[in-house]
Amino acid sequence: MSQKGNVVDGGQTVIVTARWILIGVGLFLVTVVPSPDVGEVRLQVALILLLGLGNFFLHGLLLKRGAVPGPVTYIASAVDLAVVTILVASQGGDSPVYVLYFPALLALSVAFEPVVTAVYAGGTVLAYCALAAAAGLDAAIVATRVLMFIAVAFCGALYWHVERDRRRRTHATTPSTSKLEGSPR
Amino acid sequence: MRSNNVSGATARLARTLEQEAAEDVFFGQVVMIWARWFLIVAGAVFFLWTAVRSTQLALGVVPIVALISINFYLHGRYLLERPSNPKLITAASLFDVGLISVIVLLWGSGTGATGLGSPFFVFYYPVLLAFAFVMPRRATAVFTAVTAGAYAAICFGDVTSLTSAKVLALRLATMVAMGGLGTFYWRIQRDRRRTGLVDAADEFGSAAAVERLRAFVGI
Repeated sequence: MSQKGNVVDGGQTVIVTARWILIGVGLFLVTVVPSPDVGEVRLQVALILLLGLGNFFLHGLLLKRGAVPGPVTYIASAVDLAVVTILVASQGGDSPVYVLYFPALLALSVAFEPVVTAVYAGGTVLAYCALAAAAGLDAAIVATRVLMFIAVAFCGALYWHVERDRRRRTHATTPSTSKLEGSPR
Repeated sequence: MRSNNVSGATARLARTLEQEAAEDVFFGQVVMIWARWFLIVAGAVFFLWTAVRSTQLALGVVPIVALISINFYLHGRYLLERPSNPKLITAASLFDVGLISVIVLLWGSGTGATGLGSPFFVFYYPVLLAFAFVMPRRATAVFTAVTAGAYAAICFGDVTSLTSAKVLALRLATMVAMGGLGTFYWRIQRDRRRTGLVDAADEFGSAAAVERLRAFVGI
């Protein structure tokens, strides 16, 4: 298994792809029926462009070196969640953009160890709850959304575990199997 | 003697690939089961919290009990190491999507909103993700398309402005992203396991066997 610190390189590809989706959807949101508030649109465009530049750099690193340094991946994932939070906040908390948390949480949950995923998911839940409380959203609806954020992060982390265990089993059994088959009896 | 060993090894590795597909379902279905438990908890919390009449609560508990029954059965089989086959877990996932769609379409408890205004569409996300982690790409593509199509059909009547169309498009795009990213990761993991198999075959020292295996697994 190829790992850079706690970050599995297969997961880095998923993170970069998820970020391109985030950028594409963000551009769609900005360009189709833009908000009449120029300040809000200015902020959204600036964030999406910065995210695009950052992801271009990371994608380049991934293609050239095969992996992005661990600390950079951690920071970039935190930035993804922060950008979604800023987009939601810029629309007053009661924004449909919160659904962008789902692909962002999914990507980091398969890339990082479950402990790291738990920290990111916890931070997301706290940030969204604070925004929703400030906007005066229905608590039951917020609870449902937050439970689904946790569900996505949990399922990603669980699958990360399942795959790690399978790889470990394969590594543990393959050499002995190959020896059995390869040696003349 | 050497030739027999190499062809035996290739056959055994080919069987390993078949076994791998079965293991995808065997080990992965626990993710589906847990995704469904989250649905059950979220649904129960919402119905208990928002019901204002006893009839609402009585009706709301019906889908929850249906999901609990299915998940008890599937989780029980998994714990007894008799996991369900792909047909059964596909049927269970389709049932989940059907149930969520009915709730989105009809259930206005608490918020009074159905269709595009229903808050329950978020239940689709973990179901789509769990399915993509377990099933092959083609099945995932069909399942994701069916789910997104069902939701689009339910909400179509509520799209009365460009803003509501934008909201629907955003939700559909993120739903498709869940299926797409899930199956993308599934494929990455499968390729890594297969690369490991070919690396192991390299130890036999037969270039022909390794090439045959490479062609077979598609790497």
